[in-house]
Amino acid sequence: MNTVDEFDVVVVGAGISGAIIAEQLGSKGKKVLVLEAGSGTGDRFWNSSTSTGAGSGNGKKPGYESYMDTFFTALAKIPNAPYSNNPNAPQPLVTDLEPIAQNQTLTNGYFVQKGPLPFASTYTRAEGGTTLHWLGTCLRMLPEDFKIKTEFGRGLDWPISYSDLEKWYQVAEENIGVSADAAEQSYSNIPNKAVHIPYESGYNYPMEAIPQSYLDKYMSSGLRQMTVTLDGKDYPVDVVSTPQGRNGMPRGSYRPVGAVGDSDLGQRCAGNSNCVPICPIQAKYNALKTLAQAQKTHHVEIRTQCVAYNLEVDPATQHISKVHYKQYSDPNSPEHVCKTVKGKIIVLAAHAVENAKLMLASGVGNSSDQVGRNLMDHPTMLTWGLMPTKIGAFRGPGSTSGIPSLRGGDFRRNRAAFRIEIGNWGWSWPEGAPVGTVPDLIDQKNLFGAQLKQTIASVYPRMFRFGFLVEQLPDPNNRVTIDPTYRDQLGNYRPVIDYDVSDYTRAGMAAAKQVSDLIFQRLGVEGFTEYKPSDPGYLTYQGQGYTYNGAGHLVGTHIMGSDSKTSVVNRDQRSWDHPNLYLVGCGNMPTIATSNPTLTMAALTYWAADNVYKALADM
Amino acid sequence: MDWLDDFYQLSAALTDYKVAQLQGTGVGEDYLEVLSTIIPHAILAELFGSYRSIVAENSATPTEQLIRDGILSNAKLGPVARNIIKMWYLSIWYQMPEDWRQLYGKPNQGDPKYQDVQFVVSRNAYIQGLVWQTLGSHPMGAKQPGYGTWGDKPSDRSSIVSTTS
Repeated sequence: MNTVDEFDVVVVGAGISGAIIAEQLGSKGKKVLVLEAGSGTGDRFWNSSTSTGAGSGNGKKPGYESYMDTFFTALAKIPNAPYSNNPNAPQPLVTDLEPIAQNQTLTNGYFVQKGPLPFASTYTRAEGGTTLHWLGTCLRMLPEDFKIKTEFGRGLDWPISYSDLEKWYQVAEENIGVSADAAEQSYSNIPNKAVHIPYESGYNYPMEAIPQSYLDKYMSSGLRQMTVTLDGKDYPVDVVSTPQGRNGMPRGSYRPVGAVGDSDLGQRCAGNSNCVPICPIQAKYNALKTLAQAQKTHHVEIRTQCVAYNLEVDPATQHISKVHYKQYSDPNSPEHVCKTVKGKIIVLAAHAVENAKLMLASGVGNSSDQVGRNLMDHPTMLTWGLMPTKIGAFRGPGSTSGIPSLRGGDFRRNRAAFRIEIGNWGWSWPEGAPVGTVPDLIDQKNLFGAQLKQTIASVYPRMFRFGFLVEQLPDPNNRVTIDPTYRDQLGNYRPVIDYDVSDYTRAGMAAAKQVSDLIFQRLGVEGFTEYKPSDPGYLTYQGQGYTYNGAGHLVGTHIMGSDSKTSVVNRDQRSWDHPNLYLVGCGNMPTIATSNPTLTMAALTYWAADNVYKALADM
Repeated sequence: MDWLDDFYQLSAALTDYKVAQLQGTGVGEDYLEVLSTIIPHAILAELFGSYRSIVAENSATPTEQLIRDGILSNAKLGPVARNIIKMWYLSIWYQMPEDWRQLYGKPNQGDPKYQDVQFVVSRNAYIQGLVWQTLGSHPMGAKQPGYGTWGDKPSDRSSIVSTTS
């Protein structure tokens, strides 16, 4: 006779949001199962075959260090380079991208892209999720970001306000381990009131701010008192250090969490300059740390290589009665067994695209017809050049400061806001430097010996780039759907994506380019920015060409709202349609604003865990 | 045939790093193995022989022009020399140019350890790539320089290493 395992909570997805749910509920004695589609390294830092006593001993077990092997020998050091492609849980790659010809479909990666523009962001399907390769930026949203419909007649309002979320921001900052100064992050010294963020009196982050790079300091002094005029109004251009989920100097009794499986490592950032695609020592937060905490409660079980593919609904109660999943033992073989589990509450934490895909495949939670819609990203426009002097490129965390003073203001009635990220790694993003550029010096510029050495030594330390993370509004036509024609090796759906960038966002890119030009003039930067029609993210606005890249910020496929007809979840992050179904992750966010979304998503998820706990008490 | 010494001498001239610095990477023997697996031995013998002749006929530190004349502008030897430079700097073997492959390449016999396709030589080779120290930093993901070092003023020296002796 078949028995079906039963849990208090079944969580789909072992990334940051699934880890938070598991840890929060496990620590309160709830029995939790986490299903992860991808593979994992468990609690091992070192590969068990080379480290006596590590792992549970059954043959060779890869640890986190195996990701480093894959990374070092990968030719293209893209964000997913360390995390091998898994045909049973495929993931999108930036190398899949191409321009999409009119009325054509781009199918050469995991995504099926119908355009007209390619969706450029990716994520990681493995235990720990995309936090394995995130940068760690932990910005809060601005108060006005929660009500842009009311304030500017654009986008959507959230059903919650900044002050509702503030205490959960604090919880998330404590648990992720964020390094920053609250006084600085309140932006209260920036002469643009729209960006001011109120912090609770007396609150501070658990660790001191990560030191700014030499470049940050150079730019900060170079831009002192600079203003730019946008739409007839003057705005400041202030360099501010960025809050980071990366271990720094602890405040008070706080103690940073080191690497999973070797906690002596990673208690403080050591400057590996490799946060994306992988921090070698886990000084940067990743969700493996929260998963390890969850397992210490002894109430949480994590099953990797288990792909949820169907949610079954009890027609009488509309509860999700069962979760069906496919378990495989070899990522390269489609052989699998189908299994079923039950949970009093089901939490989908599989990532914005995968959550939407699973709901659409199961036909659940979509009475609003909003599942999969309103897909957003930060179309990220880069500008790059050579500083007049060496600023020490290719050192430190990927970004330690930004220019946040243009994140908010009245101009949002007319065009998108943006945040400027100052990149510490030279031209690694726009040009693939140095590995992508040095061959040209040898093969085309015909340099060798001392000339080659001196060229690299004198030019590369001057390389510099900005990233402009431009706001994108929710648009129901930017969406994830499924199509039986397109499936992966296990027979599960591949995401089909329709995507475009509106004039509102394009106007933001144009304004960003203007600001960049003015800053380059002021600092005497020798510009090398080039946007080519062959770039996958090439677009035009008012006759000028621009190129966007993916930020990896996938937001808005199951948005929260106050009306069941126009949103997928309510303010409790519960499905309007199924009393025991909760959705977590960036998919819940009705707008993306100008902050990297992970911190806001984590704050929302701590809140959701509290809601789930209260709901269980009533069951 | 033991080409290791020849390989280091030529590599030092091509990269402007001292032999001792190249030896210190610990991956020179791996690079020579890649080279001698993929490039026909007669061509390697000619390459090393050319450099020995340049040294013998001129000085132990021949001018860059002599190396351009004798090696880099030679259709057969130049692409091999450029691949040696790229290997030292980036730890990557790049596929030889198509015209060179047609004229001089050797078909793969059996299942050699290295084929003439683009690949990273090894994990350790990536870490030892010369480009990182040349640009004044460390290999991204390895040789961590320590907390807060990214805030220091970068070195004013044109390179952290001196020229070939």
